[in-house]
Amino acid sequence: METFIGLIQESISGIALGSIYALIALGFTLIYKATEVVNFAQGELMMVGAYVNFYFVTTFMTQNGEPTVGIFLIAFAGSIIFAFVFGWVLDWVINRPLKDEPIFSVIMATISLSIILRALVAMIAGPMSLIPYSPFGNKILSINGIIISMLDLSIIISAIILVILFYYFFNKTKWGVAMQATSEDPVAAQLMGIPVKRVYGLVWIFSALVATISGILLAPRMSLLDTSMGFLGLKAFPAAVLGGFGSITGAIVGGIIMGVIETISMGTLSYHFGWIKEMNDIIVWIVLIAVLMVKPDGLFGEEKVKKV
Amino acid sequence: MKGRYEDENLTWIPLLIVGIFLLPFMLKGITYSYKYYLFVLNMVGIYIILTVGLDLLSGYTGLISLGHSAFLAIGAYTSAILVDQVGIPFILSLVISPLIVGIFGFLIGFPALRITGMYLGLTTMGFGFIVKRLIIALRVWTKGAGGLEVSPPVIFGFTFNSDWDNYFLIFTCAIIAVVVGRRIGKSKIGRALMAIRDSEQAAEATGVHLAKYKMLAFFISGLFAGFAGALFAHTNHFISTDHFDIILSIYFIIMILVGGVSSIYGAVLGTLFIVLLDYLFVPELKDLIHGVFNIEGGDIQSLLFGLIMFLFIIFQPTGLYGMWIKMKIYWKLFPFNPKKRLI
Repeated sequence: METFIGLIQESISGIALGSIYALIALGFTLIYKATEVVNFAQGELMMVGAYVNFYFVTTFMTQNGEPTVGIFLIAFAGSIIFAFVFGWVLDWVINRPLKDEPIFSVIMATISLSIILRALVAMIAGPMSLIPYSPFGNKILSINGIIISMLDLSIIISAIILVILFYYFFNKTKWGVAMQATSEDPVAAQLMGIPVKRVYGLVWIFSALVATISGILLAPRMSLLDTSMGFLGLKAFPAAVLGGFGSITGAIVGGIIMGVIETISMGTLSYHFGWIKEMNDIIVWIVLIAVLMVKPDGLFGEEKVKKV
Repeated sequence: MKGRYEDENLTWIPLLIVGIFLLPFMLKGITYSYKYYLFVLNMVGIYIILTVGLDLLSGYTGLISLGHSAFLAIGAYTSAILVDQVGIPFILSLVISPLIVGIFGFLIGFPALRITGMYLGLTTMGFGFIVKRLIIALRVWTKGAGGLEVSPPVIFGFTFNSDWDNYFLIFTCAIIAVVVGRRIGKSKIGRALMAIRDSEQAAEATGVHLAKYKMLAFFISGLFAGFAGALFAHTNHFISTDHFDIILSIYFIIMILVGGVSSIYGAVLGTLFIVLLDYLFVPELKDLIHGVFNIEGGDIQSLLFGLIMFLFIIFQPTGLYGMWIKMKIYWKLFPFNPKKRLI
């Protein structure tokens, strides 16, 4: 029974972690679908979002005293505006100059961007780790002996709301349908009168937005905020591959499964089998290689047929 | 003198080799801090051996590897364990370690038969993480995260003790690696690999055995990486998992990209460019900026490195070798240059 309760608690905590992976994976799946570029700087975008939010919270706090939910909301709005501008700038700096260059170069550009962002944030914010503020505090919910932290619950709920919003945007609005058409076939979309360049810009803005929100959600869960948070973005890649690279449903499901696997292996499995402790931080990569060996298209990916 | 297989001038090659071996003497004559320069050049030499192998894999065959620092690590640890704990002479380890790493490359080649592009990049990256963890887990032989001390290289009773001695050892090996790499690139194997890069289906239709040549590419690349790793372990005297970070694999890919993909000389140029940038130019620039602006703390060095890389990729996506080709065409046509860009 003890083990069972432990497993449920770990699963819920894992779903919360997985929601973050899912959001990061969603961010680069959007870019990948539209422009075939794999954005290695997604984790760093998330880190920048978390730092910007922290900056806004502390700025308003020094004027008004203690942090409250209201201040957090104002800071949140500020971060969202920042994400819009940031995504737009990235489109102009990375996507437009490298539009017709080989994918290899664009990937290298995003990698150098991640190096730049990490160094820049460390320079501006200083080398100290920060303690982020969460509007939900350290409250705990207890149902039949199963303990759930409010923070995890809030992450899961926010992720669900976000995914519903995105779903609505992609399927019901004009711009969302334009984005779908562009990722299907850019040339045909352009011929149909869709402003493809502006759609690409929108895609980058969207992925910066998702990254910022996931950063804000994740920061209080890590309890310490520093630049190594960007490396977490790398773990979202195996999650996306598990779900099927380039599929939005796949990114979300894969992210959640990966989060649960990681948390359970860190908790119950490590407790019962000592040797699992050795491979806690590489378990996602082992899962990745296993998935690629058995089913390279992932759970929801479409099989591609290549012609000569 | 013309090359046997292509229309290429080779007269400058012996001069270049003589120049490479005279360079330390020149450096000693010019500056007092020549020891640091030699240390940096040794790094260049070791990385050249690796990037030549990586170019055969990623440049010629188009199979992206983001896990080459893991191959380097396996080579380094294998050689260190073989020489210091098993007691094999260094010169023999220089043959055995590459073979072992080649077999590891072979193993990673299996998934490569089914996946390409970014998937392969991710798989090799995962392989890098797993190897790093494995090195820490096998602490009986590798001393775990604390690092391992390695004896200096001994060849026929002669011990290479300083960076000065190591320079000659490393660059002899590097020249051999470049020559072998070029010969492989121009041989039947190289052409088959290039055919696979351009179109797998077309290559298979013309009789290239896909599985065989992909595995071969990984094996050869592993051989070069293992050779570099063995040299790295013994000339550095100390190895730990920090030396083989995931970021190093990305640097290797950047090196061949900067040099220009699928050209061995490009890989050499790119390695030289990146290592000199990282170890010599950026620290100088950092001092300059510190003198003017007086910025406190921060990792300004990697900021500058990232910025230079970023600008380079934005403005020169074809790399140094592409720049060289452009310049060559420009001077060939000199008074009658067309207005539009040729490449």
